[in-house]
Amino acid sequence: MMMQLAQSVDFSTVQLGHYLITSSILFTLGLVGFLTRRNMIVMFLCTELMFQAAAIAMVAFGRYHGDLSGQVFVIFILTVAAAEAALALGLVVLLYRRKETLNAEAWSELSEI
Amino acid sequence: MDPSLLYTSSVVSIVGAVSLWMMLRSGRTSIKAVGAVIGLGVFGWFVSNAGLAIIGEEVAPDAFFLIFSLIAIASAVRVISHPVPVYSALYFVMVVISSAALILLLEAEFIAFALIIVYAGAILITYMFVLMLAQQSSDPENPSGRAEYDVNPREPGAAAVVGFIMLALLSSMVYGGMNSLPAAPTPEEVAKQSWQKLDELPLKRDEVLEKVAPGASLQVGENEASVKFHEDGRPYFVVLPPDSNQTVEVELPDDYLPSNVELVGLDLIAKFPVSLELAGIILLMAMFGAVILARRQMELAEDELREAAGMAKIGFDHPEAGGSGDRGGQTP
Repeated sequence: MMMQLAQSVDFSTVQLGHYLITSSILFTLGLVGFLTRRNMIVMFLCTELMFQAAAIAMVAFGRYHGDLSGQVFVIFILTVAAAEAALALGLVVLLYRRKETLNAEAWSELSEI
Repeated sequence: MDPSLLYTSSVVSIVGAVSLWMMLRSGRTSIKAVGAVIGLGVFGWFVSNAGLAIIGEEVAPDAFFLIFSLIAIASAVRVISHPVPVYSALYFVMVVISSAALILLLEAEFIAFALIIVYAGAILITYMFVLMLAQQSSDPENPSGRAEYDVNPREPGAAAVVGFIMLALLSSMVYGGMNSLPAAPTPEEVAKQSWQKLDELPLKRDEVLEKVAPGASLQVGENEASVKFHEDGRPYFVVLPPDSNQTVEVELPDDYLPSNVELVGLDLIAKFPVSLELAGIILLMAMFGAVILARRQMELAEDELREAAGMAKIGFDHPEAGGSGDRGGQTP
C-alpha cells in the first residue's frame, strides 16, 4: 500500500501538490491547536497559523497557474490578520482585566448550554 | 480516485495524529519524546522518496523545500504543544520565517519579506506584549510559573481525531488530483509573461527603451504588444533610431525584466482597486476598535459630568466638605 503511494506520486521534483500538502498539514496543526489550547492568546496564535497555511497555498497556486492574483490575495490575508490581531488582543486584554486569567474556560458562562 | 490512496493517506494521518496526541497530552516528558520521534518518522517516510532524488544532480530547490517544510511543521507542532505561551509565540516566528522561505522558493519575493516584516515584526511583537502584560505573577504554590490551563490541554484525543479526519481528507484529495495539477511553468514562460506585462507599465517601458536604445522611438502597430519574441523566445523591441529612417530590432536583456514587486503592485492596483480600498477601511476600523477596546472605562456620576461640562453642581454638598464645598465648581 505504501509502495503504491510512492509510485503514484512523483517525488522527483517539487510540485504544486507538495506545497498543498505542507499547507494542509500546517492548517490542521493550527486547527488542532485551536481546539486543544485553553490559553486565549495561544488560541489566536493558532488562527494565525491557519492564515499562514492559507498564504502558502495561495502563493503556490498563483505560481503554478502563472497568475499573480494569488500573491495579491496574500496581501489581503495579511490585512485581515493584522486587523484580527489588533482587535483580538484588545479583547483579550479586556477579558484578562475582568477575571485575571487567560483561561478561555473561565468564560464558559457565555455559552448557551 | 484510487481508493488505496485514501487508505494510505489515512494510515499516515492516523500515525501522525497519534504522535500529535502523545505530544499534546500532559504528563511525562518521555511520552512526548516518543510522540516526537514517531511524528518525525512519519514525515521521514513521507519525504524519503524525495530524499533519493535530492542526491541526484541539480535538485537543490527540492532540498530546500523539504528542509523548510520540515522546520515549519516541526515548529508548528511546538507552537501548539509548548506549555509556555511566550515560547509558543517564538516558535510561531520560526513557522513564519520558514514559510517565508517556502514562499521565496515560489518566486514571490515581495510577499515573503512582507510576511516576515508584518508577521514576525509587527503582529508577533503585539502578541508578545500582551503575553507579558497578562503574565501570571509568580505564585508560591506553583514554582514553575506555568498556569494550569497552559499545562493541561483540553481534549487532546478528540482534537487529534478531528485533525486526522481533516488531514486525511485534504491529503487524499491532493494526492488523488496530483497528476491533474498544473506543472511548474518553465523560467522562459515566466519571463515571457513578465515581458508581456510591460505594456501595462508605460513608464517602465520608456525607461527600458531609454536604456537599450537611447533616443530611439518605439515602433508599435495598432493592438500590438510592444515586446515581441523571436522564435527561441528572446524578447525584442522594434525601434526607429534617431539618425535613420530604418527600423531595427533591439534585444532586451534579462536585467530589465519587470521585478516581482512591480508586477504584484500592478496586479493589486489594476485588478483589485476596490478590494484595496476595502482593506484600508478594514484596517482603519480595526484601529478604531482597538482604541475603543483598550480605553479605560470611567464611570462618571452626574455631578462630575456637569463639572466637566462647566456647569454648576446640583444637589447638596457633603457635610465634611465644609465651607469649600463649591471648589472648582464655578470656574469657567
